[in-house]
Amino acid sequence: MQTPTDAGTSPQVAAPLGSGQRSTFTNTIRLRLRVPSKQRNLELVLLIFASIINVSAIALVQLGALHKIEGSMIGLTIGLAVLGLVFHVVLRFFASQADPFILPVSALLNGIGIAEIHRLDIGNKLSGLNAIGVRQVMWTAMAMVIALAVILLVRNHRVLQRYRYVAMFVGILLLVLPMLPGIGSTKFGARLWIEIGPFSFQPGELAKIALAIFFAGYLVTSRDSLSMVGKKILWMRFPRARDLGPILVLWAAAMAVLIFQHDLGTSLLYFGLFLVMIYVATGRVSWVVLGLGMFLAGAFVASRLLSYVSGRFDNWLDAFNPNIYDATGGSYQLVQGIFGLAHGGLIGTGLGEGRPGIVPLAESDYIVASLGEELGLAGLFAIIALYLLFVSRGFRIGFAGQDDFGRLLGIGLSFVVGLQVFIVIGGITRVIPLTGLTTPFLAAGGSSLVANWIIAALLLRLSDSVRNQPRLVVE
Amino acid sequence: MSELTLLVLRIGFLLLLWAFIFAVVYALRSDLFGQRARRMPPEAPTASAFPSSPISAAPPRPAPVTSPVSAPVPAGSAPGANSATATRLVIVSGSKQGQELALGGEPLTIGRSSESGLVIRDDYTSTHHARLMLWDENWVIQDLDSTNGTFLNGARVTVPTPVPLNTPVKIGTTSFELRR
Repeated sequence: MQTPTDAGTSPQVAAPLGSGQRSTFTNTIRLRLRVPSKQRNLELVLLIFASIINVSAIALVQLGALHKIEGSMIGLTIGLAVLGLVFHVVLRFFASQADPFILPVSALLNGIGIAEIHRLDIGNKLSGLNAIGVRQVMWTAMAMVIALAVILLVRNHRVLQRYRYVAMFVGILLLVLPMLPGIGSTKFGARLWIEIGPFSFQPGELAKIALAIFFAGYLVTSRDSLSMVGKKILWMRFPRARDLGPILVLWAAAMAVLIFQHDLGTSLLYFGLFLVMIYVATGRVSWVVLGLGMFLAGAFVASRLLSYVSGRFDNWLDAFNPNIYDATGGSYQLVQGIFGLAHGGLIGTGLGEGRPGIVPLAESDYIVASLGEELGLAGLFAIIALYLLFVSRGFRIGFAGQDDFGRLLGIGLSFVVGLQVFIVIGGITRVIPLTGLTTPFLAAGGSSLVANWIIAALLLRLSDSVRNQPRLVVE
Repeated sequence: MSELTLLVLRIGFLLLLWAFIFAVVYALRSDLFGQRARRMPPEAPTASAFPSSPISAAPPRPAPVTSPVSAPVPAGSAPGANSATATRLVIVSGSKQGQELALGGEPLTIGRSSESGLVIRDDYTSTHHARLMLWDENWVIQDLDSTNGTFLNGARVTVPTPVPLNTPVKIGTTSFELRR
């Protein structure tokens, strides 16, 4: 009996009878040997390319800022490159048909982030374990090991569908965790962290994975009732009132995050993820119209009632007003970031030669402004192009998927990365109000790295099961 | 380290970054522009197999002599036959005539893309051509807006259509049947 798990390998293609048992046997072996190489060889070349860029970025930072090269940080980066190769070798054995671009692109983004954090450490004269860059290297290593564990443990993404309600509870728990007294802690006006001993962690980052799994599992089973029935108003078919339950619950959750945790970005991220997944699952624009309307109405009311939201809006719309610039919690950070970007110009000041340290939180929330100053418009666009490649690979995996759960999960996971990049870079460049989210892979912070590497691992696993498909080739 | 060297290194780094991006884009060009079509060999029966003449393809084809499978029941003899019992897909005409593929419960995509479950590479197949799915109790063929169409027993498939057992489905120069 055939099961989906063994659907991948080619031997089920029976050779015509008459060619005999022996030739069937040899065909099988030849096909098996031929399969793994192509994707992985491409990945190896790109991974080595990315590692060379990462090491040269660190070297350039040290040349620019110190006028000499110090071995220790370069050694750590080479260590990460070796770990990347180990990752690659594991993929050769356990996900041989996985997408070849995700690992190199993630490693390159991560490495550029480490180089820029190292540059800020040099500016702030931090070294050893106090240096944020060194800690970032350690977090990266840990995140890659966790991602490897995900690839080894989740051998078939359909298993995740069974745990959709577990994922829901885990997601909600992770969201609520920072509000608990004792371990929850408030930083920069937002209550998003938990602190246990010396470690601080932002559980909301992991919640986005759990929620993507839950949304995918839930929408696969219930999308018919969400898409088929309803009244037609103008050119759109609106859902029945009784089908509005899930979107109302999600809206309430997003508003709760906004009101109690003081975080506009996280609330926008989760709600946007839900809207896109319900749109992809049902194909109804009315859900997006409804959801965006509800969110904008909620955000508008919040901006009238909550001082921190209205402050964010003032900073955004009137950033260069001297009163707002000088106020506590005013637009100082935003404006300094824009000055930094302007200082960078077209090709930047060069790594290690700008002054990105002036901006508050330059290594986490404002890493994009720091990179924009030192690499310029050309470098920033290269980074955005890397994100574009990452997200487009995710969409591609979703598109090529054979089962609906895998399709929705692929779209959801990659969209959440894309939306997060938009919210962060949009905030820094004054396209939308500034909100405190981390830039995936680039920003300093362990929870964000772990979460994004897990997303990369899940996309690799999905793409492996999708590509393991061709069962018969007619040419 | 002189200013000039640093300037050269800085520009060199940006070029390296963009070189990486273009290397990735070059590597995935087949995703952007589709797979290259393969020329059919001249002896291929292009005239009779051309999909724009569905009438010629309409009569059910008898099983080829070289086929390893037992002689099929003529198509249409069991129009309402429950095709969920189909366990294999048999190629009945085209270059891989006689080969078969086990069907599980999962959907099967058909097209020129190497990501398809059944890859058919000829001049008439689209990158993502059609999809075969198990809906309730029936195998259903869905045409994915292909250029040259999918033909079920000679009729072009426009909406997802149940595929009875032993009925030829034609895509490009290849046709296949579902069998028990």
